[in-house]
Amino acid sequence: MGRYDAVIIGAGLAGLVTACQLARLGQKVLLLAYGHGALLLASGCIDVLGFQPASSIEPVTDPLSKLADFLEERPDHPYRFTGRDNIEAGLTAFQALVQAQGLPYLGAADRNWLLPSAAGAVHPTCLAPASLANGDLSRGGRMLIVGFPELRDFYPALISQNLNEQALGVRAEPLLVDLPPVPISDDQNVLPVELAYVFERPDFRRQVIQRLKGQTRGYDRVGFPAVLGIKRHAEVMADLESGLGKPVFEISTLPPSVPGRRLLEALRQLLVEADGRMIIGAQVVDGLIEAGRVSQIRFESANRPKVVKAENYILATGGIYGGGILTDADGGIGRVWEPIFGLPVMAETNRHRWFAPRFLEPTGQPFANFGVRVNQQLNPVDENKRPVAENLYLAGGVIAGADWTRGRTGDGVALATAAAIVKQITGRIYADGASAG
Amino acid sequence: MALQQADLDEITLSIWKQAQNTADLCVKCNICTSFCPFSNVTELFPGPKFVGPQAQRFRNPHEMSVDNSVDYCSGCGICTLVCPHGVKVMEMNSKARYKLYRRKGIPLRNRLLGRSELLGMISSPVAPVANFFLGNRLVRIVVEKMMGVHRDAPLPAFSFETFRGWYKGVHRKAGRQRRADKKVVYFHGCSTNYYEPRVGKAAMAVLEHNGYEVIVPEQACCGLPMLSNGEFEAARRYANKNIRSLVDYARDGYIILGTSTSCTLSLKSDYQHILDIDTEEARWVSRQTYDICEFLLELADAGQLKTDFKPIEATLPYHSPCQLKAHNIGLPAIDLMEMIPGVKIKHVQADCCGIAGTYGYKKEKYQISQDVGRVVFDQVKAANSALGVCDSETCRWQIRQATGLKMIHPIELLAQAYGLNYR
Repeated sequence: MGRYDAVIIGAGLAGLVTACQLARLGQKVLLLAYGHGALLLASGCIDVLGFQPASSIEPVTDPLSKLADFLEERPDHPYRFTGRDNIEAGLTAFQALVQAQGLPYLGAADRNWLLPSAAGAVHPTCLAPASLANGDLSRGGRMLIVGFPELRDFYPALISQNLNEQALGVRAEPLLVDLPPVPISDDQNVLPVELAYVFERPDFRRQVIQRLKGQTRGYDRVGFPAVLGIKRHAEVMADLESGLGKPVFEISTLPPSVPGRRLLEALRQLLVEADGRMIIGAQVVDGLIEAGRVSQIRFESANRPKVVKAENYILATGGIYGGGILTDADGGIGRVWEPIFGLPVMAETNRHRWFAPRFLEPTGQPFANFGVRVNQQLNPVDENKRPVAENLYLAGGVIAGADWTRGRTGDGVALATAAAIVKQITGRIYADGASAG
Repeated sequence: MALQQADLDEITLSIWKQAQNTADLCVKCNICTSFCPFSNVTELFPGPKFVGPQAQRFRNPHEMSVDNSVDYCSGCGICTLVCPHGVKVMEMNSKARYKLYRRKGIPLRNRLLGRSELLGMISSPVAPVANFFLGNRLVRIVVEKMMGVHRDAPLPAFSFETFRGWYKGVHRKAGRQRRADKKVVYFHGCSTNYYEPRVGKAAMAVLEHNGYEVIVPEQACCGLPMLSNGEFEAARRYANKNIRSLVDYARDGYIILGTSTSCTLSLKSDYQHILDIDTEEARWVSRQTYDICEFLLELADAGQLKTDFKPIEATLPYHSPCQLKAHNIGLPAIDLMEMIPGVKIKHVQADCCGIAGTYGYKKEKYQISQDVGRVVFDQVKAANSALGVCDSETCRWQIRQATGLKMIHPIELLAQAYGLNYR
């Protein structure tokens, strides 16, 4: 399989961004993942810190200023190891990466956008692609929320009513428009990605614009479900804005996520251009730790496990949701483990304490914090805080304490750990395309 | 549901078992559908989730498949690769297609397209005549009307000289064949034998140059064309024939190499996971099978590949076939070709060229196949080269027809760089 400078396991945000930065800094990288996941189930925005304290329903407007309070409440959170520097470096690096692919993300570490969600709730997020950032609620004014009856699970009336009831300074009105004929098998129940492909056809867009003509008067901007193209997204946006004569924005939908897909395509392209390698569909079955170093990993190919060797290994397999941490139970005894290296995990063995009584418990579900303990260098450590393998680094949700549902820190953790790892391995900070090797 | 196993044939039973095993892993996230190259260009195929794990729970094992649209699945397998939950979507749909054809009957057209070996045996001895007729527009229109094979579909030309004929007659008799202690077994497949013997000759040359004796055992069509055209019973017969002919080599530790990514995938995995040939012999053959580039790259990693390459100054577009991706070995051809001084590979960033074995030959599916392939064609053309590279034969023919580029197998480029030329 060749010898690599770095092997990255996992194709979520943490894995992809780490791989892209290392490859652009001249490292020979291989990324392995068991299918595509995280990005297609996410909003496509970068959440750094949305709520603090976690039980608060007031969104955070400046994530960095709340960081100290947050870490006081959650001393085990991965931000403790990355610190503020790496959060900022991670965001800057990310913006530089996607900018290079023509998918600019707007925002900065010291402010949050307040975006409408598909339920009409407020989604505080730090970086957002331009099309979503245009929906920022703090801008006020009148917005028209357009939906299509054929795109189920996106209800303009629900979004508008919820937004209006929260008295956020915006006035939202719903509008349902029948889709022009679409070449989709079940045209009464279309998926976001299917619709996004259809929106890439100019004649289809013309018909949509035609159907909206005269109904956008009096509104400051027009919101659509996030289905406005994938690879030709910029062209679709420009076309709709000029056709409607209004600023247009997108609202994230239920999965599969189109903004997430755009981000995936951009990062994938970036990795290929930087001569990185990627195998999707390959399950990493085990890794060997000898004398304090990982010496190899093996992944399942169609007929036999294949061995890969590298200088450094990055584990970015996610937490319990991503499959990076597995669980089993025998009666009241719970077992929690990290399946590839068998790393020591921070977890509760009494299964009855895995779950909080309420599903949406403000202090979170205990199991969501299960993960691998790390040190400042993001190496895994044992109970006595001794590193288990010095050339193995952990990125993203596989780290103990990373529960992203609480406080909304998942993307921030992914980017901050990626930046920290890149610095550890290369001694450099990824800043822009100019440093590409 | 209580199952009366006695009433069910083996394959139907296995479909039921497999559904029980992996359909329940599906969380309906639709990631597979969003990556499906086919459902994204045609309304005739609703997408892998809808006809696969979702429909599966409505398929009573005692009844036939309920859904005709599964015929529009190409079997490219991207759904299985992108699924983050381990659902064997493509495998499920291939079997559902078998059930569909059991109900509807298999059209003569499918039977013919499934028999690339038989077509080769009949036509190769009269290749000039066969090629003349198949190159004739009027003949192709008649073939389309009578058989349902699209008039513009990229039919390859038959080769007058078969690979086996060359190997037995020219190569071996002339005493040119290398004898050595290091031996490998070569599975050439039908396309190399009847259409592109040059690929087999190049493989032979490269392997012999690296000090291997190449054994070419008796072999039949791998069975994949039959499998994908719904003829499971026939496919299993061919599969068992190959397993019988290869298993002793496998047991003795020989490595079995192939230049066709779909043949090698059949040996590696489809025999077991789609045709349900779950025997010790099948596992032996599977374990010992390698894609040729996979093998050569492992040699290179071990420092055992000769690197006396002459420089070739070229930037070449390379398309990685779906069947190769399903090997889950990455893209060894790229690393291998870039070992040649001067060669720069431009990897096409698109999932499928649309041909999917015999899918794009069918009259009713030709346009879908072209629509799927457009992204590949555009990128190949944009590479501004007269030559392109791809590991799979039908993909090469599809891309050649659509772009006008000469398409070769990576092993041909290696043979050229080594300065080898077998005639």
